[in-house]
Amino acid sequence: MPMSVKDTKAYRADEQHGHHLLTEAQRQAIFKASLPSPNDGQAAVNNKAGQAQRRSRLGVRRFLKNQIFVFVFAVMHGIFSLYIKSRQTWHGVAYQISSILYYHHATPQYIRRDIMGLSKKPKHLSAILKTEGKHRAKNDIDRLIEETAELATWCACAEIPMLSIYEKSGVLKKHMPRVYEAVIQKFTFYFGTEHPTLSVTSPHQDDFPTRMLEESRHGHLQLHLISYQDGRESIVDLTRTLADMSQRGKISPRDISQELVDAELSEGIFPEPDLLILFTPYVELSGYPPWQIRLTEIFCLQDNETFGYQVFLKALRNFASAQMRRGK
Amino acid sequence: MADTVSLLRRLILESPPGEWAVNQLRELLIGALKQGPIPQHVAFEMDGNRRYARSRRMETVEGHHRGFEALARIMEICYKCGVKVVTVYAFSIENFNRPKYEVEGLMQLAKVKLEQLTTYGDILDRYGACVRILGQRELIREDVLEVMDKAVARTKHNKKRLTVWLRAVLNICFPYTSRAEMTTAIRSTVQEFLSPTPPKNTPFSPSRIRQKILSNQLDGREPLPTIPDEPLDDVEFDDNDSSSTTLPPDSPEPRLLTRSGSYGSTALPNPDSITVDTIERHIYTADDPPLDIFVRTSGVERLSDFMLWQCHQDTHIFFRKCLWPDFDLKDFIWVLLEWQWRQKQSDRENSSVKARTNKARSMME
Repeated sequence: MPMSVKDTKAYRADEQHGHHLLTEAQRQAIFKASLPSPNDGQAAVNNKAGQAQRRSRLGVRRFLKNQIFVFVFAVMHGIFSLYIKSRQTWHGVAYQISSILYYHHATPQYIRRDIMGLSKKPKHLSAILKTEGKHRAKNDIDRLIEETAELATWCACAEIPMLSIYEKSGVLKKHMPRVYEAVIQKFTFYFGTEHPTLSVTSPHQDDFPTRMLEESRHGHLQLHLISYQDGRESIVDLTRTLADMSQRGKISPRDISQELVDAELSEGIFPEPDLLILFTPYVELSGYPPWQIRLTEIFCLQDNETFGYQVFLKALRNFASAQMRRGK
Repeated sequence: MADTVSLLRRLILESPPGEWAVNQLRELLIGALKQGPIPQHVAFEMDGNRRYARSRRMETVEGHHRGFEALARIMEICYKCGVKVVTVYAFSIENFNRPKYEVEGLMQLAKVKLEQLTTYGDILDRYGACVRILGQRELIREDVLEVMDKAVARTKHNKKRLTVWLRAVLNICFPYTSRAEMTTAIRSTVQEFLSPTPPKNTPFSPSRIRQKILSNQLDGREPLPTIPDEPLDDVEFDDNDSSSTTLPPDSPEPRLLTRSGSYGSTALPNPDSITVDTIERHIYTADDPPLDIFVRTSGVERLSDFMLWQCHQDTHIFFRKCLWPDFDLKDFIWVLLEWQWRQKQSDRENSSVKARTNKARSMME
């Protein structure tokens, strides 16, 4: 409502006095002045016949108006793509520089030093990794496993106890032993022989038999792999189970509460993460489990397309500075 | 110096010709935006009213009033662009934890605005606009609820007209959280599957169809794509029916036999037939097109229990720094432009992939 200043002032004054200041007619006048005209399509339906003789003139005017709109649209998008291209270039350069400035040098001490100043850390970190295309599928899996291993190692260095990785197609879940081997290899590369323990888990699957050592003094990392079917599909599964149970008379629909659903989904699938890192140029969740992202801080570096330590570090810094208000 | 500049700016912008020019410019921009693809469904998380009030030294409730003005502005832009459904997060269930005075003020605001809406209902009819309230109704106070129902009923018939006439739907989420929404959807799905399917009077015999399917399956062909069925191994329930004897006498009879047995008149639908679509039908926004854009203002990068089910797939999520009462065309236009740009980009990618596969195919031939 692009109201004039005078009307806005009158409207606000009226509001402050509990809507007694203006008369009904005055209020309606403000209302009407600020309302847009109904969309064209509807008007055309309403008085098709009456305007038939005037159509030729109106048609020309409308045509001209449309031409102007098309022209402005083209100009606007021309300028905008120029802006986006330069923003992408600028961000690309900036991220390159910061990836040189902030490098982990494969030493846990460096990572720990980077993390030390932060006021709080997430207890449960999550990340979305993406497969690139259907061709070169083999390279893709290698890359995914490599990225998972890197991320897991950084988490271990930062002493974040839980990491969950979302990959839409579920290809990581199929290669759990390989993921485990890759992470352990990375651990040894960073830490030497005295590395933290690791367990790789995934919903719907038996736990991968990990060589559970006694709790090492270097901490423990739980790596949880999730995919698209842990999202909506898992809610459907839960509903099926609940429907089945209530058909058998074991529960009543009234027993289904938010707490129950939450308990089932967070135990059965995975609990709500504190921080979600995206390595995509913009925020799109691509099927990430909906129940679990309620209060998760979402971090995405604008226009960033690369996977790197600097994204991880920036996400943690951003998380430390964010405040939680929980509706208050 | 800065003072005089801002004074001059205000003088120019607030003079009638200045206002006229600004309005003309807005019209031009909106008309131009309309030439590209337009999102069908946009959701706004209106965050920052209180910070706005604090920074301007106003009362909190005053900030919410300014937020309402911003909502009206955005509604107008969306309407003119041709966005079909706008969903706004007006009040969260968590917001009941706020100071009582503020909750009271928000309730009053909702009540007054909806009352006005009902009195000016005839104006709304011209636009084919329709208002819906989504959320946990039982948490709303009696008098507010009454006004809400009236407003919804007043604009409801706008929906029934031809779809071309339905120009604008405003979904107001009032006391809402997405988890509560999903829980409600699950509960009502379960409820639906508790009532037996009414006996159908059709010329098609179920037994014959089943026979046909069975013989088809014996041929080794899968007649229908089956839904991948991953049992939740952590949900504990025992499959044997022995525990039914321990049920209290007034509980419903175990109807397992009728379900898995013949399709009698009291047969219960099989829970395995629940799919994503079944639940989707019980979600509050079931009638609306999929969510294209999700906007959250005030720089907070969380979803905060809003539209989780709707926005976790391919919705484009935008987090904006500005506070909601400041949100206007000058901010929204960037969101729309970027969305249109990405849309164009993905179209181009798709067509190039298609062209490549076509080329490959022709090479093969």
